[in-house]
Amino acid sequence: MDTGMILYLLSLATMTGLYAILTLGLNLQWGFAGMFNAGIAGFFAIGAYATSILTTPPAEDRFGGFDLPIPLGLAAGVLLSAVLGYAIARICLRLKSDYLAIATIGIAEILRLILRNEAWMTGGNRGIAGIPRPFEDMEQPWGELCFLLLVAGIVVVLYVAIERAWHSPWGRVMRAIRENEEAAEAAGKDVVAFRAHVFSLGAAVMGLAGGLMAHYLKFIGPDATEPILTTFLAWVMLIAGGSGNNRGAVLGAGVIWVIWSGTELLTQRLPPDWQTRSSYIRVFLIGLLLQIVLQRFSHGLLPERPPRPPESDSG
Amino acid sequence: MPDWSTVLDFVGLYLIPGLVTGSIYALGAIGVSLLFGILRFAHFAHGDLMTLGAYLALSVVTGFGWPALAAVPLAAAGTAIIAVGLDRAFYRPFRQRPTIISVIASFGVMLMIRSAVQLIWGVQSLEYKSGIEQPLVFFDQLRIQERHIWIVGATGLLVLALHLLLTRSRIGRAMRAVSDEPDLARVTGISTERVIQFTWLIGGALAATSGVFIGIDSHIDSYMGWNLLLPVFAAAILGGIGQPIGAAAGGLALGLIEELSTYPWIGDNPLVSPDYKTGLAFTIMVALLIWRPTGLLRGRQF
Amino acid sequence: MSAPLLEASKLVGGYGGMDILNGVDIAVGSTEIVVIVGPNGAGKSTAMKAIVGLIPLKSGHVAFAGEDITGAAPEHLTARGIAYVPQERNVFRTLTVQENLAMGAYLRRDDIGPVTAQIYELFPALKDKRRQRAGELSGGQRQMVAIGRALMNEPRLLLLDEPTVGLSPKVIEEIFERIQAINGAGVGILMVEQNARAALTIAHRGYVLATGRNRFTDSAEALLANRDVAEAFLGGAG
Repeated sequence: MDTGMILYLLSLATMTGLYAILTLGLNLQWGFAGMFNAGIAGFFAIGAYATSILTTPPAEDRFGGFDLPIPLGLAAGVLLSAVLGYAIARICLRLKSDYLAIATIGIAEILRLILRNEAWMTGGNRGIAGIPRPFEDMEQPWGELCFLLLVAGIVVVLYVAIERAWHSPWGRVMRAIRENEEAAEAAGKDVVAFRAHVFSLGAAVMGLAGGLMAHYLKFIGPDATEPILTTFLAWVMLIAGGSGNNRGAVLGAGVIWVIWSGTELLTQRLPPDWQTRSSYIRVFLIGLLLQIVLQRFSHGLLPERPPRPPESDSG
Repeated sequence: MPDWSTVLDFVGLYLIPGLVTGSIYALGAIGVSLLFGILRFAHFAHGDLMTLGAYLALSVVTGFGWPALAAVPLAAAGTAIIAVGLDRAFYRPFRQRPTIISVIASFGVMLMIRSAVQLIWGVQSLEYKSGIEQPLVFFDQLRIQERHIWIVGATGLLVLALHLLLTRSRIGRAMRAVSDEPDLARVTGISTERVIQFTWLIGGALAATSGVFIGIDSHIDSYMGWNLLLPVFAAAILGGIGQPIGAAAGGLALGLIEELSTYPWIGDNPLVSPDYKTGLAFTIMVALLIWRPTGLLRGRQF
Repeated sequence: MSAPLLEASKLVGGYGGMDILNGVDIAVGSTEIVVIVGPNGAGKSTAMKAIVGLIPLKSGHVAFAGEDITGAAPEHLTARGIAYVPQERNVFRTLTVQENLAMGAYLRRDDIGPVTAQIYELFPALKDKRRQRAGELSGGQRQMVAIGRALMNEPRLLLLDEPTVGLSPKVIEEIFERIQAINGAGVGILMVEQNARAALTIAHRGYVLATGRNRFTDSAEALLANRDVAEAFLGGAG
């Protein structure tokens, strides 16, 4: 196997891992707390930018470049995302899911505008380059392999932790809330607080994914991660993985990313004037894939209660 | 007492553009509000219906050599029919499911429309016609672009026509009935599927018109509709869910607020930086959702 | 007496797999007012919804004027001459009174002027309010709009699900009076009612349901006179 192929496979696996982390975070918000976040790209970006600003070497034209160690940068991203997630959740929790979707997209867009316009802090449209990557001083492909193992390890830890939490007493409360919110409230549980905590945790995980992605790509910009596409892909991954559970999240990430990346590989063989067009075809096909999956396999996605009989006649 | 030249400047550079932006938002918001009311979900692909309409008009303009305004009916009809088709393929399967699934589906449709547009027409920014138009001049100082008069005027007529449709016609009343109580409407014999299809026709046609107007006012590119999606949602929420005329008013208000916000009300600098102008609508919308989701005109709480 | 206009027999069914009805029989003659009463959870509203096709039946039959309408959807019944007024959400809130009535006549293609005038004669209070939005009216007036809407198609049978819930005694009396007038004009009436005693006073016959079954079936007078029935099932305003 030639080096090119090895590197490609490593990158495929790494990106899958990063998206798996993102999708696990999404599943926390959706599968646990039943909250529809359409602004995933926002939390992703916060994690990415926070770590980039903190860990890059000093730069003249912008704030930041504190050259801090990578774990610190990642931690900062995670923390910021968690705080923002908590704030958004507490404010928006009362909204119906459609409204929450619009609000989260709105917030993500405002964030993107800020990232683009406040160049003194974020480098504006040019973004931030030269972000350090763990193990980059090692010889390739071993450096890449180590990074992949790091990401894979994080996926495993997260997966185990979340599964544990799901089966813990805390997780039981979350499940009760998801199945029947009014009953849980009547039983004295602070539904809003629980959900906000979960949303915040999910946001934190998304921030981690964003931070790791920034280190991996060594560059970020306001549109570098194609925010709508990232949000959309994460949702497709969760839905394609089926029934909004954790295994589905990781599986979905793998399958969808392989399809996404694999089709890119195929289209690279096409003549040049077809190549740009091919990216549009790929987006179209992913959109179509979402429709197919939604129509065929989405029944486990939501706990859909049968219609409740009216109060005066129940029994 | 402000001098006339400042006033006329204000009108020409801020007020009129505000009305134009407002008209564009209004036409999009009406469709979103109707769909929100009758289908009960947030149609995320609405912006890209606007994009589609603009590009269909472009084909008519380049194909037949007509001026853009003349291409509106064809573009509107084409988009309307496509909208009905999209509903049949991607939204109708979910009529009885929780509405969030339709939202997710519309997310996908949004990307599908956009990528199809990019595939067919490419990604460069385009214009209906090249060259600079001379503005009309009133009172020696007031400069208004002729196309702006067309846009605002046409929007006014369309809103009036919609109002008449909703209040005087059988299908219009049926639409309002389905929006109020879909189950009761079924009992009275109204075919909710017919009403839904008709709503898509109207929503698609108005979205297309809005898209062409954007193109006439500035330019066309594959992200134009997406850029308008959030202001359009904001306008629909501002006017109250399920109240399409309110949505039109909301759109007009938002457009004016957006343009007027960049006027140097205090001192010499714009009140809101033009970079953040588009963020203003989002901010208003988020604030509305949090503090007054029924909108200013007290629409339905979802 | 000729064959009943509406005949529902051995209805079994309920929501989401749970059987609320365990074999219910209801019949309504073309000139009668028939009332369904019983405690909460007895299945009164469920029985009416089953007749109208809003909830699925596991077994049982429903026939209208000799025709089998088991499981037929509500919109088909409207065309056949059965009008249904649900307990909740029974008016179009943002439509005016006049528009609500027009919706009731949606399936008609003829001039609805005469029948509209009849409705306003029946409910004079509505005539002044005809340009007002139904959602802005009082509870009693809304109920009148709901019933009026149902009558616009000139049905032979009117099904009312708890028409007086939440209304004051004076308004209840008025509504019952109007219902009698409607019946007098030749419309058969089937009514589910919580105000059992008051409802039986204007009815010809009554069905007392309990736990999804028929417990007592008799003329209204007999039910009112029956001590067992009165104590166990008719407690409440009367």
